[in-house]
Amino acid sequence: MECLTKTNKKVLMKGNYAIANAAVMAGCECYFGYPITPQSEIGEFMSGKMQELNRAYVSAESELAAINMVIGACSTGAKAMTSSSSCAVALMQEAISYASADELPVVLVSVMRGGPGLGNIYPSQGDYNQATIGGGDGDYQNIVLAPSTVQECIDLTYKAFYLAHKYRNPTILLADGLLGQMMEPVEFGEYPYPEIDNSGWALTGAKGRHGRVIRSYAPLAEDQCVFLNKLFGKYKQIEENETDWEEINTEDADIVVVSFGSPSRNVKSAMKICRKEGLKVGILRPITLWPFPSKRIYELTQSVKKFLVVEVNMGQMLRDVKLAVNGAAPVEFFNRPVGNPPEVDDIVNKIKEIIKE
Amino acid sequence: MAVQTFKIPESIREGAKFSFCPGCDHGVAVRLVAEVLDELGLTENTILAASIGCSVTIYDFLDIDAVEAPHGRALAEATGIKRARPDKCVFTYQGDGDFASIGLAESLHAALRGESITAICINNTTYGMTGGQLGPTTLLGQKTTTSPTGRNVEYYGYPIKIAEHVALCDGTAYSARVSLDTVANIRKAKQAIKKAFEIQMQGLGFTFIEILSTCPTNWKMTPQESHERVRTQMMEVFKPGVYKDITLEKTV
Amino acid sequence: MIMEKNFVIAGFGGQGVLLAGEVLANAFMLANKYVTWYPCYGAEMRGGTVNCEIVVNDSEDVSAVNKKEADFVIALNQASVDRFISKIKKGGWLIANSSLAKEIRTRADINYLFAPVTKLAENLGNIKMTNILALGLAAKVSKLVSVETLAEALDNVIPAHRKHLLPLNLKALKIGYEYDLLPA
Repeated sequence: MECLTKTNKKVLMKGNYAIANAAVMAGCECYFGYPITPQSEIGEFMSGKMQELNRAYVSAESELAAINMVIGACSTGAKAMTSSSSCAVALMQEAISYASADELPVVLVSVMRGGPGLGNIYPSQGDYNQATIGGGDGDYQNIVLAPSTVQECIDLTYKAFYLAHKYRNPTILLADGLLGQMMEPVEFGEYPYPEIDNSGWALTGAKGRHGRVIRSYAPLAEDQCVFLNKLFGKYKQIEENETDWEEINTEDADIVVVSFGSPSRNVKSAMKICRKEGLKVGILRPITLWPFPSKRIYELTQSVKKFLVVEVNMGQMLRDVKLAVNGAAPVEFFNRPVGNPPEVDDIVNKIKEIIKE
Repeated sequence: MAVQTFKIPESIREGAKFSFCPGCDHGVAVRLVAEVLDELGLTENTILAASIGCSVTIYDFLDIDAVEAPHGRALAEATGIKRARPDKCVFTYQGDGDFASIGLAESLHAALRGESITAICINNTTYGMTGGQLGPTTLLGQKTTTSPTGRNVEYYGYPIKIAEHVALCDGTAYSARVSLDTVANIRKAKQAIKKAFEIQMQGLGFTFIEILSTCPTNWKMTPQESHERVRTQMMEVFKPGVYKDITLEKTV
Repeated sequence: MIMEKNFVIAGFGGQGVLLAGEVLANAFMLANKYVTWYPCYGAEMRGGTVNCEIVVNDSEDVSAVNKKEADFVIALNQASVDRFISKIKKGGWLIANSSLAKEIRTRADINYLFAPVTKLAENLGNIKMTNILALGLAAKVSKLVSVETLAEALDNVIPAHRKHLLPLNLKALKIGYEYDLLPA
């Protein structure tokens, strides 16, 4: 695959290649990965491109190794990433917890496929919980960004590197198999964020100073209490500064549909059809899944009669919406367990059914 | 006649006090690493990937840059460090459980890739920090808290000979097994560690030192008895020696 | 009124279905439309059917995906006709390769174009031109994209080491486009 990162020129590109190209444009110095469908194009692209640019690429022996290689590279302040999918991201949970505790700017691209277990390679949103809650030990929180178009795959890859380094926090780009395999016209532009100074913490060899230790191991409970309070202070700051979502037609809406990622495209089409028929339907699309736009959703309960959550899983973001609404309005659910997003007509019918109730 | 004065290596953190059990060889091993870093002038150019087990505390004693690694993943992290900063001296300091049980894949693949990293593995035939359970190097017949009647092949299988396995990897430039049971062997151990770091800095490939060590607490022995065990039992199975040295092969 | 149209291109593995889709999507991009291409992939076997969908949209807005109906189905073999004929929108088009599919009109509410695409490609001297020939047909039928834009798109998509095949591809495109839609 040829590198297509000519700036300011529209190119038709697959989501996976768009993510890989954007990572290169963002200055990613190291890529470590292990193949898994439906994201293998990312590693394939990186294997050639990183060598060409004299940057690092390693075909890791496992996802365990890959994510820990990222940790190693990030400990030196380098921009580093890995990419994987569902059952293999499951293998990385331990390291993600370490990276959170060690406050390292790990960037992980997670292209969701069907689960649980081996599942299948169809698109899915079954790893919302895996990304936003996670399966590592202890109290920690990842930043999670959810694109819905190939252009957003680029924009949010840029943002993932920025936020990871700005907050020294693991950041996950949560795409799905449909976005990974989909082609759309995109523009790269330049990496739009400032470079973050890491000279205060990165491991560079203890030249002219004492050795730095990046560690979470705190034998004393009191020390761990201090650390966790500080860590959660940072999370609060991220919530205040970085919560992001898209909102359309909510001002007068009776029903607001909450949907993220590729299914939100069909929700938009359904909303347009409903509006044409005079139904007051709006949409709220979370772009950051953590921090989640809970506050805004709660504000909307002032005017909105009902919420509808549309997901391709068995109801994972549903829980966050219910927590945000906090009983102030009914929250309905419409899903496909796995595969492509629900069809537009089916979403329209569900909306009409809810309105009638 | 020159007077040799005993002093603490520069690479040891000021005021650091080893917290290892009396008679444990970890303290000697850490000191040897510090001396080698001093002598090679690497202290200010080195990054350590630490491990899990008794070995983890090394970053409390060495005044160098270090990052912790999840259990078994030190060589994956070290790979990431070295690939990101190829001009740095990068090493790991692990126990046998970390290197050869939970981390065997990471360890051997780092060797197979020929990463210019030095890995130091303390082999004390048991999981020390968790209270002396059976590990990958536990000797046949050895009693541990999870092999109460002794390690037998039928039930537990065989211990692993780490230095030999690492030497078989084509990316390995140097693989040696040393012990710390006598002053002479401590000197040899230091030479091996030094050689490994030197080869790393020449960028010739993966370098590995397995250090046979004591665990008096879990072996329930005195320090003297422990070193006697290293000599009479461990060395019988884990024979000290240089298993690979490509710098010698080249000159032959 | 915002226009949103979609195409399904389907055939055997090896017939260049995904590439044809990519050329079509590129052409829409060059015409400044919002376009989305995605493969309908799964655990498909080598040699089985392959298909992709192209959704094109006039507005600035993103397109829906996984659409229930298709405006145009380009079917390069019988299996693809069988699989997708029911998906065609009322008043939509089935463009089928009559070299590899029977000319049977099972639905009265859609339009048909049967053309011996494989045969035409053989006549041209390269059976691999089947997919691009079919694109020419689709351009004519849909009136959504010009043959010039498709030619430009072909130049975008064909990699440097295959550029020598560009003239033949352009010829195939033209043959398809100029194929008599209502043969006797």
